[in-house]
Amino acid sequence: MEGKNEGGTRMIFPFTAIVNQEEMKTALILNVIDPSIGGLLIMGEKGTGKSTAVRALADLLPEIEAVKDCPFTCDPSGVLCSDCQEMFRRDNHLYREQKKMRVVELPLGVTEDRLVGTLDIEHAIRRGEKRFEPGILADANRNFLYVDEVNLLEDHIVDLLLDSAAMGVNTVEREGVSFVHPARFMLVGTMNPEEGDLRPQLLDRFGLCVGVTSLYDKDHRIEILRRRAAFDSNQDAFYKQWNGEQQKLSERISVARSVVDRIPMDDGVLEKIVSVTASLKLDGHRADIVMMKTSRALAAFRRLGTIGSDEIRDAAWFALRHRLKRLPFEEIGAEREKVTGALAQI
Amino acid sequence: MKCSSFIGHDDAKLALLLNATDPRCGGALFVGEKGCGKSTLARSLRSILPSGTPFVELPLNVTEEALLGTIAIEDTLRTGARVFKQGIFARADGGVLFIDDVNLLSPEIISLILEVQGRGENIVEREGLRMRHSASFILVASMYPEEGDLSPHLLDRFGMCAGFERLTDSAERMSVVRAAICQDQTDAELELIERIEAARKILLTVAVRDRFLEYIADICINYHVAGHRADLYLLAAARAHAALNGNGKVTREDINTVAPLVLMHRRRELQPPPPPDQQEEPPPPPDENHEPPLDNQLEQQPEPPKDNTDEQEHDQPPKPHELPPQKEEIFTVGQPFQLKRIAFRKDRMERAASGRRTRTRARNRGGRYVKSVLRQNRDIAIDATLRAAAPFQSVRNRTDVVVIDEEDFRYKRKERKMGHLAIFIVDGSGSMGAQKRMVAAKGAVQSLLMDCYQKRDTVAMIVFRKDRAEVVLEPTASVEHAARRLREIPVGGKTPLGAGLLEAYRLLERVGRKRPETRFLILLITDGRANQSVTAMPPDEEVARMAALMREQPGIDIVVVDTEEKGRFTTMDRAASIAALLSADYHTIEDLKADSLMNIVMTNKADVM
Repeated sequence: MEGKNEGGTRMIFPFTAIVNQEEMKTALILNVIDPSIGGLLIMGEKGTGKSTAVRALADLLPEIEAVKDCPFTCDPSGVLCSDCQEMFRRDNHLYREQKKMRVVELPLGVTEDRLVGTLDIEHAIRRGEKRFEPGILADANRNFLYVDEVNLLEDHIVDLLLDSAAMGVNTVEREGVSFVHPARFMLVGTMNPEEGDLRPQLLDRFGLCVGVTSLYDKDHRIEILRRRAAFDSNQDAFYKQWNGEQQKLSERISVARSVVDRIPMDDGVLEKIVSVTASLKLDGHRADIVMMKTSRALAAFRRLGTIGSDEIRDAAWFALRHRLKRLPFEEIGAEREKVTGALAQI
Repeated sequence: MKCSSFIGHDDAKLALLLNATDPRCGGALFVGEKGCGKSTLARSLRSILPSGTPFVELPLNVTEEALLGTIAIEDTLRTGARVFKQGIFARADGGVLFIDDVNLLSPEIISLILEVQGRGENIVEREGLRMRHSASFILVASMYPEEGDLSPHLLDRFGMCAGFERLTDSAERMSVVRAAICQDQTDAELELIERIEAARKILLTVAVRDRFLEYIADICINYHVAGHRADLYLLAAARAHAALNGNGKVTREDINTVAPLVLMHRRRELQPPPPPDQQEEPPPPPDENHEPPLDNQLEQQPEPPKDNTDEQEHDQPPKPHELPPQKEEIFTVGQPFQLKRIAFRKDRMERAASGRRTRTRARNRGGRYVKSVLRQNRDIAIDATLRAAAPFQSVRNRTDVVVIDEEDFRYKRKERKMGHLAIFIVDGSGSMGAQKRMVAAKGAVQSLLMDCYQKRDTVAMIVFRKDRAEVVLEPTASVEHAARRLREIPVGGKTPLGAGLLEAYRLLERVGRKRPETRFLILLITDGRANQSVTAMPPDEEVARMAALMREQPGIDIVVVDTEEKGRFTTMDRAASIAALLSADYHTIEDLKADSLMNIVMTNKADVM
C-alpha cells in the first residue's frame, strides 16, 4: 500500500507516525542502541504494521565508522574481510569513513549464490580473473537483516543464515574463489504464527521477541486512518510534518548509544536477572546475556543513569517470551503471567 | 465481454469500478461456482482501466523464475554481462495482477506474491542477479471455494470480495446470453470510462469528515476484523464511491454501500459447502450467531451469499443420523498441544506435489531453485554455467559471444516441499466415551490437524463406530473444515476397527489412482478394542487381514495414537499390538506432546540427514 512521491522514489511511512505498538517500536530502538542484543522477532496478525515498522526504522539509523569503500562495512577496529586484511598488511593503515546503518532485506526467493556471494561472472569473462562478488550477508554485516515472513524461508537458506550467525563470519569456498568476511547482523524477522512455526534454533537466534495485535481502541484506529490518508494524499507534506518528531527520536537514540556502555551493571542487577531466568528454567545462557543488555539499553533510552526494576521487568518480557516453552494457541496472557510470576520473586 | 455489458452481479461490478477509480481500493476477489462469469467479469476490468494500465494474468503453473524475473540467456551470452529478463511482477507494476482460481496456487508462489505485494518492490537476489524494481499492483482473482481454501493472509490482501451466485432469474439469464452474442456496447462503455475518469480527477479532493472516520473505525471494531487493512480499504472504497457519484464529500451512504464488499472476506471463515455425497451428515452449525451484528443500517444491506449452504439443503431438511437412544454423546475437543515432529525420510522419487512436510525433488519446473548441479536435467542453471565458463573466455578466444563448452553446463536442482494426504481414522465407539477419553483424543487430532495446516497437507477423515465406517471428510486442503467435522463426531456403539481400515484402504486406492505421487500419512486414533466385524471373520482376524493389506501399500506411513488411559486395572494395550500389525509408529496421547526440547532437536537432526 505504499505509494510513490512525485519524484518517483518510494517513500516509507515515518516510524514516529506509527500509532501505538509501543512494544514493537521500543524493541527495534533497543537494537539500534545496542546491536549486540541480536535482533528481533515480531509475531503478529496480518495487517498490524509489522513490516511498516521495520522498514521505517531505516530513517532513524545512525552512522557507524567503517573501512572506506569496503563492501563488507568492515569495522576498522574489529574483524576484517580478506581484502581489508590484505590492505592493512600492505599499508599498515586503513582509511575510514562514516556510513549510515541500513536495513537489508532478504527476499524469500533468494538463491544460495546471492546470499553468501560467489564468483563475479562479468569480471571473470572480461578479465579472465576470479574475483569474489559479495552477497547479501556482505551487505548485512553490522546492519539489520530483515526477513519478512521468516517462517516461510526455505530450510537450506535458514541453515546458511544460522551458520554465519553462529560464526559471525561468512566463509566462501566455491567456484574457485575463497573469501572470508565478517557477517555480524541483527536479524529482524516478522511472522504470522498461524502460517507455520519456526525452527527452535532459529527462534533462539532472535535476541528479542514482541507480539503485535490489532488495536481495538477506537481513537487509535481513527488516528491510523487519518495518518494513512494524509500520507497517501501527500507524502512530501506528511514527511515534513513528521520531520521534527523523527529528528527528536534520532537524537535520543544517538545519545542513548553514546551512554549505554557507561551504565553500570552491578551485582544486584545481575543477581535479579539470573534469578528470573533460573526460575523459568531456561536452557542456555543467551537469555541472561540478552536480558542484561536489553535492560541496560532500556535504561539508556529512558535517560536513566542506572538500571531499575522497571527496566529489568520490561527487558524480561522482551527477551524471554520466545524462549519459554509454550503450547500452541496458548494465550499471550499466560506467557505474561509466567514472566510476571518469575519477576515477583525478585 | 465488456464490463458495461455484464448482467447482474452488481456488487462485483461495483468492486471493479471502485478499483478502476482508485487502485488504493486494493483489488478484488470473486468467489463463486464454476461458470458463473467470475473470470469473464474480472477480465473486463481491462476495458475500463485507464489506457496503458498493465493487466497481467498469472498462470497457475507459473515458476519462480517467470514470476520474479530471471537471467536473459541470449543477451547474457552475447554481451557477457548479466541481463535481467523481466518477470510477471515487473510487467504488473502499476497495474493489475489477475489470478484465476487463486486458491489452486502453490503455497510457495503465494508467499512470493504476498511478500512482493506487501513491499511494493521486487528485490531480485538470485541466479547471480542483483536488482530491484518497483512492483506495486493490485490483485484481482477468482476462486471456487470447494476446491480448497485461501490462506487468510492472502485473503486479507484483497481490498474487496464479492460473491457470485448462479443467476436464477430467467430474464437475467436471457440478457446474459444476449449480451454474450451482441458485442456492440460501445456507448455504455465509453460512458463508464468517462465517469471513471471524472472520478479520478476529483478523487484527491474528496473530503472525509472526522465522524465518518469514526464510523469506519466503529464498523471494523464491531466486525472484529484482524489487523488494520480493513479500515484503510473501507476508507479508500468510500472515497472512490463518492468520487464516482461526483460528490466532493464522503457520506454515510457511501460507506454503507461499500462496507459489505470490504468486510465480507474478513470474517474468520470462508468455507466451502459440504460435498453433496455427504447429505447424511448433519449440516454444520450456523456461524451467524458468532457474528457481531453490524450497524443497523448495514443490516439492511444485502447479506453476502453464505458459502456454507447448499441449494439442496434448502429443499430438503437434512436427514438426521439414526441415533440409538442410549449412550450417544458428542464430546468437546480437548486442549490441543505442541506436537513433536513427525517427519518422513526424503526419497529420490521426483514428484509434482506441493506442501511443506517433506522436501522432494520437483519433477516439473516449479519448486525452489536450491543449487546448481552437474547432473543433467531440463533446467539449465545459466548463472552457474556462466560462472563455470567465465574464467576460460580468454583462453577460448572469445570474440563477441561467451564460449560455453560441454563441461561448463550446470543444472538447477529444484526442491519443493511435498504434500501429503493425512487420513485420520477416528474411533467413535462407546469405549472412547469412558473417562471422556474422546476429549483428549479430539485434542490430539486437533493438534495433528494444526500440524497438517502448517505443513500444507491435505486431510481426510474417517470415523468408525457401531456397525460401519464412514468417510466424514473427503480429502480437502481446508483444515478448518476438518476441525469442524472433528467437533461433530459422536461417540457410542461398538468398535468396527476393521471397517475403518477398509475404508481408509479404499480411499488410498482412489486417491492413488488420480495422483500416484501422493504420500499418505495414516493416523489411526483408537484404543484398539475391536469388537465388531463387517465380514464373516471375527473382529481380530479381520483387523489383522486389513492391516496386512494396508502395510503393503507403497508410499504410506502409519501412526497409531493410543487413546487408552494407561496404568489402570483395565488397561489392555490393544492399540500397541495393532500398531505392530501395521508396522506403524506407536504413540500414546501423552508422548505425542513435544514437551521436551530434546525431542525437537533429535527430530530436527533427522530432518537434516
